[in-house]
Amino acid sequence: MTALNPLHKLWLTETVRLREEHAGPLEDLEANRLARTAGGDLPTRIQQRALHLAERDGLTAALGRWLQGARLALVLLAVVALISGAGLAFAALGNGLTPVNVFWALGSLLGLNLIVLTSWALGLLFAGEHSASLGRLWLWLSEKLARDAKAAQLAPALLLLLQRQKLNRWAVGVLVNSLWLLALLSALVILLTLLATRRYGFVWETTILGADTFVAVTQALGALPALLGFNVPTVEMIRASGDSALNIESARQAWAAWLVGVLLIYGLLPRLILALLCLWRWKRGRAALRLDLNLPGYSQLRERLMPSSERLGVNDAAPQQLHAVSGGVSELHSDGALLVAIELDDQHPWPPKLPGNVKNAGILDSRESRHKLLEQLTRFPPARLAIACDPRRSPDRGSLALIAELARSASATRVWLLQAPPGQALDAERLGDWHAALQQLELPFADCAPLNWLESGHD
Amino acid sequence: MTKPLKLAVVGHTNVGKTSLLRTLTRDVGFGEVSHRPSTTRHVEGARLSVEGEALLELYDTPGLEDAIALLDYLERLDRPGERLDGPARLARFLEGSEARQRFEQEAKVLRQLLACDAGLYVIDAREPVLAKYRDELQVLASCGKPLLPVLNFVSSSEHREPDWREALARLGLHALVRFDSVAPPEDGERRLYESLALLLENARPQLERLILDQQAQRQARQQSAARLIAELLIDCAACRRSVVTEDEPQAISDLRKAVRQREQRCVEALLKLFGFRPQDAAASDLPLLDGRWGDDLFNPETLKQLGVRVGGGIAAGAAAGAGVDLLVGGLTLGAAALAGAIAGGALQTARSYGSRLLGKIKGQRELTVDDSVLRLLALRQRQLLKALNLRGHAAMHSIKVDTPQDKTWREGKLPDALHKARAHPQWSSLNPHAKLSQAERQEQVEALAARLDEA
Repeated sequence: MTALNPLHKLWLTETVRLREEHAGPLEDLEANRLARTAGGDLPTRIQQRALHLAERDGLTAALGRWLQGARLALVLLAVVALISGAGLAFAALGNGLTPVNVFWALGSLLGLNLIVLTSWALGLLFAGEHSASLGRLWLWLSEKLARDAKAAQLAPALLLLLQRQKLNRWAVGVLVNSLWLLALLSALVILLTLLATRRYGFVWETTILGADTFVAVTQALGALPALLGFNVPTVEMIRASGDSALNIESARQAWAAWLVGVLLIYGLLPRLILALLCLWRWKRGRAALRLDLNLPGYSQLRERLMPSSERLGVNDAAPQQLHAVSGGVSELHSDGALLVAIELDDQHPWPPKLPGNVKNAGILDSRESRHKLLEQLTRFPPARLAIACDPRRSPDRGSLALIAELARSASATRVWLLQAPPGQALDAERLGDWHAALQQLELPFADCAPLNWLESGHD
Repeated sequence: MTKPLKLAVVGHTNVGKTSLLRTLTRDVGFGEVSHRPSTTRHVEGARLSVEGEALLELYDTPGLEDAIALLDYLERLDRPGERLDGPARLARFLEGSEARQRFEQEAKVLRQLLACDAGLYVIDAREPVLAKYRDELQVLASCGKPLLPVLNFVSSSEHREPDWREALARLGLHALVRFDSVAPPEDGERRLYESLALLLENARPQLERLILDQQAQRQARQQSAARLIAELLIDCAACRRSVVTEDEPQAISDLRKAVRQREQRCVEALLKLFGFRPQDAAASDLPLLDGRWGDDLFNPETLKQLGVRVGGGIAAGAAAGAGVDLLVGGLTLGAAALAGAIAGGALQTARSYGSRLLGKIKGQRELTVDDSVLRLLALRQRQLLKALNLRGHAAMHSIKVDTPQDKTWREGKLPDALHKARAHPQWSSLNPHAKLSQAERQEQVEALAARLDEA
């Protein structure tokens, strides 16, 4: 197996994609790792991965066999082309016993070629990518000659790959035109050999056309070859050949040169030019072949081969347990009842209407207000303290620490979890978090105002 | 190779820092997200790369919970007669013992922010601007790193964006970004990185590269998605079941099941493409399928295809015959070409049409998927695609792919590609002997995908 050229690599990549699309993803951990280590841009990595998978699953070898089959098929077609070319020449000149009808000879040398050429050109212009039965024949033959089940996706992959750049027509064009070129070359060689070694007389025949037509046609056809130095029969020779084959050497040579010239200019030359044109387009298109990264099969590989985001792992581990806040009660002599709210927004009307003996400590939010209240509570601890919280806020450590500190400076504390303002609902999960946190602080809580308790000490 | 830009994602507990990271990294499994406060208790990083080159490192940090007490503590760290600046004070705090006890979580955040180039300060825009948040910002500002406030949950109806804007402006933070991590706007990431580029002029080139790459990837995802949907539609349009009339109800229910499973496969492929989990969306049941009895034999596309095939057969036969004619020197006078043409035409007709003609004679009928079902499938997948485009990777709810209530989707012309597919049963993965890699099928898939993409 020779080294893979870029086209082969793209081809194998496309084959692997089709296989994965139809038969499910392949096991690719190793291939992905290798592709990632190899680096490069995404198409390079995708190719790297595909080549590894192809090598592992024997696709590369299958490709080798397929190429061998293709070469064999090409040889077969070339042999057929050579034989049919020779056949053309024999059929055109006949057995030499009867004079050669020049226009029949010309027709059988060029007729089929021109018809097929026209149909190919029309196909190229109108039918798009799926014409050229000769090209199909070659693909079909190579598949048969490769005899490999693994190769099942190879031919479609190549077709799809080339179709994306509209390269099929040029590849097939190279093939078709070169084969015809070969056939015509073979016809030319046989023609020259026959003309060199046998004696042919040339005539033309007609029933309804005049001799002038033939003179005109002969000279028109011979004009281009004449530029290259091929003889054109003189008018007298043409007229004379209408009656019977001229038995003069110069006439025979002139007709033979005319025939060869016409074959060369109208048969070989167009095919040669078209073959070169197709070859040029093919080479140019081939250099521009790329993977189509927008295909779902490839875009799904991006995250595996060139992840746009990766986790870096933990770089500062979680502690065994968080700093715990503990509750407690004040043992000091305490008196009175106090209501305080923590971090309320303007959606709650505050304070509620309070009984006479219950004092309102306002809303705690800033550091200063906290300090002030805590100072005061430490000096005059209340007997009953109610703390109102909005359970829409999250029960963070700071708020819980504040609640615990407030509770520690009162003899008895209750937490009042406020209802949601009208038109809104409390988040059940967050409420649950509050309940759990307050249970841990061992503080009683309720969702209704503990005003009775504040006032009288019992419910 | 430039050094990656390091960003610490900081903020109060429970404001969606891990969610923001999930959405920015398109990684649904990053960290842990829950309603409980202090869910994340460690610092975890993620890296964003373009073409294999690391451009951005994001660090998820624990939430700040006790900023008021911390600020209090920090202010008491100044020894008499000395005046420390922010970073110096923090350095003293991080050396002290409280940084390992009461303020352990806060210390983690500050250490990480000090090690980063900038911080993203995540805000739950539904929260009122409380004193603790102001203190939090003051503590964070003392790190001496640029901070970019990110307003999360702005798509909620109760957000207080104006309050936050005003409060942040008072603290000297004028640049801020709206970015809902559950429903990020289409250009949310671009805005975020552009705002960052204003704060960090040096990092502008790599941020711009990141923006361009994300745009390119977004586009590539759109095209891939359109192709997946086109494949689904072609598969369903080309699907064909040959049944005897008595088994009709059974056949219709089988067909419906097959189509539904095929749709679910498409849904899963789309989810995978967008980096979501398979359970993140589910297609609801298809409405009752109207079984379409396609008398396909006279479908114009079938006839056209037949014409092409038979024509091709005739041409190939004639060419073979002409070869024979040539080899024998025209002695057969074209008889071989004629015979070849007839044989070739007949062979092609039998090959491409024979079994279906036979079925017709035996009284079988062919069941295909109704036009309106195809329209519905296209509509539902496009809706899903739209939802996926606007879904953040932090979203927890599942997308329901539903049937629209109004009936307008039942009308309208189907694209040509689907009409073509009707005549090519081998294009459907739901049929036996499918030839999915046929170049003609791919051509139609691409044409249909292009139409879906532009629509």
